[in-house]
Amino acid sequence: MYITGVGRTKFGVLSQSLQELAYEAMINALKDSSFSITEIDGIVVSNFLAGPLTGQLHLNSVIASLIPGIHIPIIRVEAACASSAVAINQAIHCSDQFSNIMVIGVEKMTGPTLISRTDAIAMAGDKEIDYKNGVIFPAAYALIAQQYMNKYGISHNTLENISLLNHKNARLNPLAHFNYKDVTKEMIRNSPMVAEPLNLFDCSPISDGASAIIVSKQKRSDRDISILSSQIATDSISLTQRKDLTSFIATKIAAKKAYSEAKLSPDDIDILEVHDCFTINELIALDDLKFCEPGGSYRLVDSGDIEINGNIPVNTDGGLKANGHPIGATGLAQIFEIVTQLRGEAKERQVKDPKIGLAHNIGGIGGTCGITILGV
Amino acid sequence: MSYFCPNCKKEWKCPVKVCIFCGNSLIETTPQDSKIIASTKVFVPSTEQEKVPYYVYLIENTLGEKSIVKSQLRLELGDKLDLNRKSTQKIKIGIIGSGLMGLQISEYLILRGYPVIIKTRNEKNHERILSKLKQKISNDAGIDELPSRLKCLKITSQYSDLSGCSIFIDASSEDLLIKKEIFTELSQLADTHTILATNSSSLSIDEIASVTRFPTQVIGIHFFNPVKKMSLVEVIIGERTADKTIGIVMEFLKNIEKTPILVKNSPGFIVNRLLLPQINEAIRLLERGTATKEDIDTAVKLGLNHPMGPFQLADFIGLDICLSILEVLYLELKNDYYKPADLLYIMVNEGRLGYKTGKGFYEYQKK
Repeated sequence: MYITGVGRTKFGVLSQSLQELAYEAMINALKDSSFSITEIDGIVVSNFLAGPLTGQLHLNSVIASLIPGIHIPIIRVEAACASSAVAINQAIHCSDQFSNIMVIGVEKMTGPTLISRTDAIAMAGDKEIDYKNGVIFPAAYALIAQQYMNKYGISHNTLENISLLNHKNARLNPLAHFNYKDVTKEMIRNSPMVAEPLNLFDCSPISDGASAIIVSKQKRSDRDISILSSQIATDSISLTQRKDLTSFIATKIAAKKAYSEAKLSPDDIDILEVHDCFTINELIALDDLKFCEPGGSYRLVDSGDIEINGNIPVNTDGGLKANGHPIGATGLAQIFEIVTQLRGEAKERQVKDPKIGLAHNIGGIGGTCGITILGV
Repeated sequence: MSYFCPNCKKEWKCPVKVCIFCGNSLIETTPQDSKIIASTKVFVPSTEQEKVPYYVYLIENTLGEKSIVKSQLRLELGDKLDLNRKSTQKIKIGIIGSGLMGLQISEYLILRGYPVIIKTRNEKNHERILSKLKQKISNDAGIDELPSRLKCLKITSQYSDLSGCSIFIDASSEDLLIKKEIFTELSQLADTHTILATNSSSLSIDEIASVTRFPTQVIGIHFFNPVKKMSLVEVIIGERTADKTIGIVMEFLKNIEKTPILVKNSPGFIVNRLLLPQINEAIRLLERGTATKEDIDTAVKLGLNHPMGPFQLADFIGLDICLSILEVLYLELKNDYYKPADLLYIMVNEGRLGYKTGKGFYEYQKK
């Protein structure tokens, strides 16, 4: 399977509607490919919160409105923040019946909403046991951060460095939410507390945006990128049902299967996109994906290995922290970045000659993990 | 609560009956001897928790079962937390008096799952109290919640039914003789752990304490009207109130999501000591024709940033209550500054008591 086209919108607080955002990403993906819309024979839509936030469900039909008179099969996939990775996985599983499937991720999070964004995002976690006891989303990651930091002796300074690096990379990505913003260590350190020990700059922003890719059975051009593996794994939704809160077992299982399917090891990966919805998650991801021993990821941050010119560049687009986190579109934006890098089209933020890239997309507090490995 | 399959060593958090792996029946386990393994202080409000900051604790028992608890209290990692005591075995509260404040405090506590016993003077009142509370609870929690909430409620006219309460809150009328009678009775039911509290807004804690066997356990817990909206509670410390009593009351108030402040027993405590002279002064300005009541209200609202003007607030409190608090301030502080304005006496004598009678400084549509 190949990725034969990628497109996205700018991420941020945008004036466009959900439909307009999806349309722009679709047009951009088609322009990037050698296909016309009539050659697309199926669509998978990835979205998390259109129902609770805007009161719009039945998104496959919403997307059908954007391609009048085509009537192709369209399905919608929701797996919280991992909706994208699960949608890609779904598209691959459907490939027997289709030649070219478009996967569209879209989220409209700003503007008037039916319920508060905090309440809506908390739907990714357990409602009865966790949320009703005050575990909003940042609180869940705060509990995890405290456990991780205590276990491995990590200071908040490491988290600040992760935030700083993501903001630095976003300055090189014109489509990033915080492309415009110069961020300093002082701004990060002095930002307001959200849930101890996480402050504002440990959290990814509320963003609007859309991303789309075209998945095809046949390779048509040199710019097409191979899908070497797509694997998903799940875990219980409540934090209370987890044994270990300093690692996500869903990531470990999905990664193990993906490395095995692609016949690769972490050493083979040249570029990495990880799901840094909160800075702590970048550390946990690097551990779980086996780029170091458990608890050793802070060294990759301190050594500069994860910078664009480092040994294993991470989140060259700015990550969820600074590229933005329009939830349903986030995982597809990771794919957009890896494809762009593998093609050598990333301009100012181009990593030198990458051949293999891995995207790590988490839903909820590790309740779902999708791993996608791509290669030239 | 967890559901455990001893055969497969699997655990569920939702109430399932059989193991999906082996088909065996599951064992219900209740986490005990839990200690805090992770904590966070949250600064972002949500529908489930509007008041911030608050704490969330992840606790784990000796079997490795985890639970989550939220609290207003700062606890440390490793602290023991008895989940059963926190969530289900709430202390029993006795409320003496079934007037406006007695019923509001009762409803507030019932909605937070506390067993409440209301002591009223006359058996004839039982039905009226029950129907009022039913109305309030179904308005605030929904009619579906009514049966389960009412399980927390008992209404009685016998002091003996109040035995076993951990905290008594007297919400009877502001009459020292009546309160002394009540506290004499409560003193017979109390032991060395019982908290004897009064919601009095003006009477001396020390006077009330003098009639009991346990003066170190007497304290003021002054809620504000409307109880469900007003976060503040004045905790009034008498001369003999013990630190332990203060500690128990502060924890209780934080658990019911109130913001308690401490004040020594003194006329009007803090809020009424500052508020009533202002209302009195506003009435004097009106008497002298210095300004209209509407303009005084507007001045206070926009110039002092108060949500209500003094006349609106006085009407809402009730002019009879304003007068009685001012009389206490005047009597105790012996200063003409606190002498109630003549107009206040006139209005109270004419039955113009404010919102509750439909007529005060302003007129109100009768409900």
